[in-house]
Amino acid sequence: MIAIEHLAKRFSVPSVAAKGSGGLASLRRRAALRTVHAVRDVSFDALDGRITGLLGPNGAGKTTTLRMLAGLITPDAGRMSVDGIDVVAQPGAALARMGVLSDARGLYPRLTARENIVYYGRLQGMPADAANARAEELARMFEMSALLDRRTDGFSQGERMKTALARALVHDPANIVLDEPTNGLDVLATRALRDSLRWLRSPEGGSKCIVFSTHIMQEVERLCDGVVVVSHGRTVASGTVGELLAQTGETDFEEAFVRLAFSADERAHHEVAGPFEGTA
Amino acid sequence: MNNLRTALTVYRKEIVDALRDRRTLLTVLISSVLMGPVVLVAISALVASFESRAELREVYVAGIEHAPSLKNFFERQTYTVKTAPADFEAQLRGAKLADPVVVIPEDFEAMLARGDAPVVEIVLDSANQRSQAGAGRIGRLLSGFGRERAALTLALRGVSVDLLEPLQVEDRDLASTQTRATQITGMLPYFVMMAVLYGALNAALDTTAGERERGSLEPLLMNPLERWVLVLGKWGAVASVGMLIAVLSSLSFLPGQWVLRSDTLAAMFQYGLREASMFLVVLLPFAAAVSALLMAVAIRCKSFKEAQASATVVMLAASLLPLINVFSLGSESPWYLWVPALSQNVLMTHVLKGEALSAAQIGASLGVCVALTIAGVWFVARALRSAAVR
Repeated sequence: MIAIEHLAKRFSVPSVAAKGSGGLASLRRRAALRTVHAVRDVSFDALDGRITGLLGPNGAGKTTTLRMLAGLITPDAGRMSVDGIDVVAQPGAALARMGVLSDARGLYPRLTARENIVYYGRLQGMPADAANARAEELARMFEMSALLDRRTDGFSQGERMKTALARALVHDPANIVLDEPTNGLDVLATRALRDSLRWLRSPEGGSKCIVFSTHIMQEVERLCDGVVVVSHGRTVASGTVGELLAQTGETDFEEAFVRLAFSADERAHHEVAGPFEGTA
Repeated sequence: MNNLRTALTVYRKEIVDALRDRRTLLTVLISSVLMGPVVLVAISALVASFESRAELREVYVAGIEHAPSLKNFFERQTYTVKTAPADFEAQLRGAKLADPVVVIPEDFEAMLARGDAPVVEIVLDSANQRSQAGAGRIGRLLSGFGRERAALTLALRGVSVDLLEPLQVEDRDLASTQTRATQITGMLPYFVMMAVLYGALNAALDTTAGERERGSLEPLLMNPLERWVLVLGKWGAVASVGMLIAVLSSLSFLPGQWVLRSDTLAAMFQYGLREASMFLVVLLPFAAAVSALLMAVAIRCKSFKEAQASATVVMLAASLLPLINVFSLGSESPWYLWVPALSQNVLMTHVLKGEALSAAQIGASLGVCVALTIAGVWFVARALRSAAVR
């Protein structure tokens, strides 16, 4: 179970004007800093045995939220807990109960898939033979046993994805966090991933608590038990797909999402400026 | 205890990863192992060519037919007189002719008989090193002829030859044979240090900037381990690669000694197991410090390529600092020992001279290396998290 309450994070980045000026002037004085509120107020609960979708447009703050959950970034405000363990106070204990597939999922090209997976198992404190057995078990689950002893150098996107997912799940965590897991996958690989996640949610698969972020509506409709809509760094709605449809009075989930995620102004602006409106 | 085991896991993985990078590793290994023998062979070939030239006892003369008395003198000194080629000036400039040429005027004998001191030229090109080396020898030979003539003339008049030399000049060289050899072998420490630097470079960049570029740093940090443990394991692996290169290149001079072509050089260049182990005492801490330093420079870079550019600063500093010792021509200041790269060069030069290293000398160099290592590892551990997400 993952609980996030009123999470907030802002970054200082060089302002666009200072970046543009360049040259000696920018070297002499420090570039003017601009504050970006990546996450303003995100809250949600993800329960065990359920798949919770974090849905939001690009730049809504999904990745930043998940990075904070993984302890990579310290939040400015708010609380996060994993199975009751506070992430900021005990990052190690929280990470031991989480399997995180982040936006960056680089493998070691000179190591085999097995070595990549076992390495993470060892870092999670597993004995070598247990990590090895678990790697084989995961390979059977993701149908990648034939790949296990090949170097990951020539792997396809789907094969990389499977290896990275197996690596994240090697310590059999009760909570699984996935950041845009279907990015770059073809239809078959996406289907295989969906099946794996459904199995992990089921009691036989361990009733895992699964959180995954996406900007693709169909993913959410097909897979998620609960949806959290994030926009401009805030949680703007949450509930099941049916509840969100009822809340907005729409029949199409995409329409419902656009209504929830974007303000009336933004929608109007898009309609006027949209490239296809004029020709219709 | 747990942390130590985790650091070992990281270390083992990084070593396996580095060892599988066959092409890079092989290039570095071959160049560092072959370097010792190759440098020695090059030096010994140079020295041997000087020696063989001196042994040949040849003198190139243009116009020897004008000076039978000089020819007679050369032959009595067991020199072979060779007629210089017509275009000897061009050949000397083009370094095709390795010997200086003695040019004799047409009326040599007549002027000599009149006591008019004929001008005999020794033609050389100072840019042509071999011709310059022979010029001293030929000069001494010609003044020998002059002395003989003078002695004969004085003897005819009943004057003692000793009057001509009211002064006896003798050289007394304080340098031991090994000290003299460092004039020639002085660049060896420099080559060894470069081998260590380039050996550690690739591994250091791969575990930091390379990991960032591949996108594997962010997931790596999502494991429950302390950052300093992770950095310690990585640094250990990089330092091990650097130290391996240090060991191999130090040992490569042992067989290198057997291929020395010049007997003189073989006698002067004393490099046995004792010298090799003293080299390692100096080089191993250097490999450790350089590894940490390169990692610290690379961790802020987003890509391997960017890191290579930044590492150039470290490489440049490490290759220029030892030159202070090379150019100061043996007069070293105490502060040299406190400058990394320079102190290693100074200490290894001492070893080659056959001098013992004092504990204070080794301590200073070691202390600086340990401090650099700690600072580097600390910096990487601190920068790691922000590096992962940016």
